[in-house]
Amino acid sequence: MATVLLEGVGAVGIRAARQLVDTPGLDRLLITARGSSHAADLAASLGDRAEAVELFPDDPLPAGVDAAAAALPAALVAPRAKRALAAGVPFTSTVDDAAAIDELLELDEPARRAGVLLAPGCGLAPGLADALARHAADALDSVDEIHVARAGSAGPACTAAVRRSRRDPAVEWRDGGWRDERRPNPELVWFPDPIGSRECAPVAVGVALLVRAFPGVRRVTVRFAEPVSRRLTWPGRRGLDEGWGSTRVEVWGWRGRARESMVYGLIDRTGLAAGTVLAVTAARLAGIAPGLAARSGPAAGVHGLAALVEPVPFLAELARRGVKAAVFEGVAVA
Amino acid sequence: MKALRRGLIVAVIAVLVGGFVKLRGKGGVPPTSGGWRELDGPDFR
Repeated sequence: MATVLLEGVGAVGIRAARQLVDTPGLDRLLITARGSSHAADLAASLGDRAEAVELFPDDPLPAGVDAAAAALPAALVAPRAKRALAAGVPFTSTVDDAAAIDELLELDEPARRAGVLLAPGCGLAPGLADALARHAADALDSVDEIHVARAGSAGPACTAAVRRSRRDPAVEWRDGGWRDERRPNPELVWFPDPIGSRECAPVAVGVALLVRAFPGVRRVTVRFAEPVSRRLTWPGRRGLDEGWGSTRVEVWGWRGRARESMVYGLIDRTGLAAGTVLAVTAARLAGIAPGLAARSGPAAGVHGLAALVEPVPFLAELARRGVKAAVFEGVAVA
Repeated sequence: MKALRRGLIVAVIAVLVGGFVKLRGKGGVPPTSGGWRELDGPDFR
């Protein structure tokens, strides 16, 4: 039996809380949020195993916590990760802001020394997209290119982070080095329906996690679509898109002497998908998901999902919870 | 009349700028064959 601390009760946090209380082996779910009444309302709706706790930023973690999960705005994530690290508790977050992820990556060495696992970027993309990239890579002998795209955001903080990422300088990994894209061009990406085609701009978010997880990869790009509310849309399109999100992962590599591509995607409510990924990752870190075998690799440090989970059981668990990935069967164009 | 003319000029400039911004994108190539299939049981074995 385990105790998980969940911080944040926004669009993602609520979904993560519901998924966590439905996880066998969870003894207690402690929920904390800036507005303590929201945490109390949510805990009351989830039954006996959920409990709202008041936890200020400088407070230490409550005793007995086996894993901490954060669905918080980017600026709050690194301090929470440091608090978990100080307590020796594994930590995961849906953070999708490049600067915040970089801040967490700076904790890699202290986390390794302390034997603690920190898993940033465990939402839709970065997050599920990384697990899909790993799934594709496992089907190939070697991987040389990974291209991730995402459309959709969950909640105002997430939407603001996506817009900020698109404004910030993009970073691409190419031929063993970082390339700044000072004037990045958007590219049309074909997501599963009903999202369809979207112009996606290169961003820096999540590139570093993929590069660390796939040593030797030649090229990594991540692209985000503009959140729909600020785009000029055809009448009726906005209603169709609201709340929906999608990710598309294209992996190129070699199988034998043939160069092949694998394309995976997912379409779901962005908040639901991100919350479910966060909950399953937290369950895995808390040791209450015995079916989710850890990938033989890093047991400590800062890593994305591509380095942390075996993709098959992870994707199967997500599918069991209703978050179902899809494979594109056809001809992808390089 | 002056306001109408100004409005028209603004609209023309907006269309030209919008078209330029749109054309800057490299654009992808739509998949011409195939489709999406949900991963299920056999994919997870």
